[in-house]
Amino acid sequence: MSDAVQSLSRFLPELILMGALAVVIVADLFTQRRPLKSSTDLLNGIALVGLLGALVTSWQALGAGEAQPLFASMLADDGLLGVFRPIFCLTSIVVLLLGMRSKELEGVRLGEMLALLLTVTAALMWMAGSVNLVMIYLSLETVSVASYLMVGYLSSDRLSNEASLKYILFGAVSTGAMLFGLSLLYGMTGTLDLYGVRAALAEGAFGPGLLFVLILIAAGIGFKIAAAPFHFWCPDVYTGAPTPVTAFLSVGPKAAGFAVLIRFFYLGMAEPAGGGAIAPVGGADWQMLLMMLAVITMTLGNVAALLQTNVKRLLAYSSIAHAGTMLMAACVLSVDGVQAIAAYLAIYLFMNLGAFAVVILAHRVTGSFEIDSYAGFWKRSPLLTVAMGIFLFSLMGIPPFAGFLAKWYVFAAVINAGLGWLAVIGVLNAAVAAFYYVKVLRVMVIDQETGPTPALAFSRLDLALLVVLVVPNVLGLLFWGSLDRVTEVSQTLLELG
Amino acid sequence: MESMASAAIFYGVAALVLGSALYVVVGRNLVHSAFALVAAFFGVAVFYVYLGADFLAGAQVLIYVGGILTLLLFGVMLTNRIYNLNLRSGAIQVVPGALSAGLVFALLVWIIQSVDWGAMDAGDPGPTSESIGRLLVGDYLLPFEIASVLLLIALMGAAMLVRRRGSRS
Repeated sequence: MSDAVQSLSRFLPELILMGALAVVIVADLFTQRRPLKSSTDLLNGIALVGLLGALVTSWQALGAGEAQPLFASMLADDGLLGVFRPIFCLTSIVVLLLGMRSKELEGVRLGEMLALLLTVTAALMWMAGSVNLVMIYLSLETVSVASYLMVGYLSSDRLSNEASLKYILFGAVSTGAMLFGLSLLYGMTGTLDLYGVRAALAEGAFGPGLLFVLILIAAGIGFKIAAAPFHFWCPDVYTGAPTPVTAFLSVGPKAAGFAVLIRFFYLGMAEPAGGGAIAPVGGADWQMLLMMLAVITMTLGNVAALLQTNVKRLLAYSSIAHAGTMLMAACVLSVDGVQAIAAYLAIYLFMNLGAFAVVILAHRVTGSFEIDSYAGFWKRSPLLTVAMGIFLFSLMGIPPFAGFLAKWYVFAAVINAGLGWLAVIGVLNAAVAAFYYVKVLRVMVIDQETGPTPALAFSRLDLALLVVLVVPNVLGLLFWGSLDRVTEVSQTLLELG
Repeated sequence: MESMASAAIFYGVAALVLGSALYVVVGRNLVHSAFALVAAFFGVAVFYVYLGADFLAGAQVLIYVGGILTLLLFGVMLTNRIYNLNLRSGAIQVVPGALSAGLVFALLVWIIQSVDWGAMDAGDPGPTSESIGRLLVGDYLLPFEIASVLLLIALMGAAMLVRRRGSRS
């Protein structure tokens, strides 16, 4: 019991989120009869305060104090969790602000949505901290259930319902596969603790049986990060969900999925081999498995994105491609890969949410998500066009934008690990990606608009949001210092156990 | 003699579970499928008894057979036009489906045969509820609490989904 009480002090961001959740639920109950605007503003305010509190406490906790296990070794409060907590908080804050400006969510009561957002943010942190098979499954399932509900939030919208249903069906199958894999793993090793699993695997070779288990578990994780061939839900769900939710799904659960991937494979399936490197145990070649996933995911995401005419679908395939790039870094088998993934996610957060912010603001005027509806945007709003240009160039990985830094970290790690051929495939993919990102820009700048062109007006919130998202992309190189802080603490991953 | 009877009951129950689970999938009448699910869940409770998990067996009967299935049956029976609902199940892609299912089955059999599961004879396991209770407020306190958060949002989500369609504010 004293262990649980002691753990609470290292559990502050999650506690704040749960507190905010309770307040939002109660406040939602008491404001049912108030006008929609005032009750929504109040609830948004409460949720925002909660998320900001979690962000501040998680930023303070970053790199402070020794790594230590929490709650009888259910979670590990180490550098990896430290890095991911602020990423989740920032994502949710931006998504909350996007939700306030989204036309799709106008006139809808947001109480449940905010409660779901707070829950899912905390659940993402539990995912990133899990070092126990039960915790991995439970936190993943909490994220999934909350995500299904957020996707289907617009109960009067047919597309939103369809997306939610597809998401549930795919989610049920892949978490089922993962759970089966986890239970087989428990049968093989006799323990639920990841460090215990590693110790048990180190003693004997399990060969093909273990590989099968790993494929099942990779299906569950691959579903969360939208890696091919577990990506089929992704385009439809991204298109059907309310756009702020799409923005959230493209960053939050993906980041947490990578945290679980790193923990499961780097801690549970491998042992430290000195110098920050790790060596797989148990006789299953999971590096090859991840490399195959990376190549398929990157290539499929980029090639399919070329054919898209809907900007949400395009960003869906682009997010699949980015998952592939990060998977490349996961094949490195040393903390360099962890560092690259953490840095990539921190930057990806700003560039991808930025692109979605532009999509949401443009939707307010055009009422459409088709790329063709962006024709002539350069004349209607140079500001929005320039912002989109910056986000897309950053996603492409073109210097001097931050996306270049992200790609550079990944490719450096991959090449240093002697996986040159993988890096070559990655570079070829990055070249393909440039085509479809430029296509969007070409429509915005060169194509002439047809029909009436209502003027674009921005509120102060829009401008503030764009500035917050653009600055890290433009000045990525200046933020090197804080990025280094992020990557340094991720090095402590292998300290525990 | 006793082990013979025990094995006979085990294989009988296994056949019941498999048969009724199969009927749930291929059956064309939703109400019949729901009743077949009762049999499948009940058979699983018997497996738990075989494994010495008395608490789980009780929970399985109380929660799945008693609670969830009754709700499911209510849901099915309160739905309009349930009897003339044309369920399309199992009619598409029979051959590839059967092939991949057979392949997965063969793979599983092979893996279950080849892996050393470290099984041991636990003897008479005795009642388990006390140790489960201790674990839930001890080592597994955090998963226990997180499960309550999961149930909370599931509850909220259910309320959200049944709210009248298109009711805006």
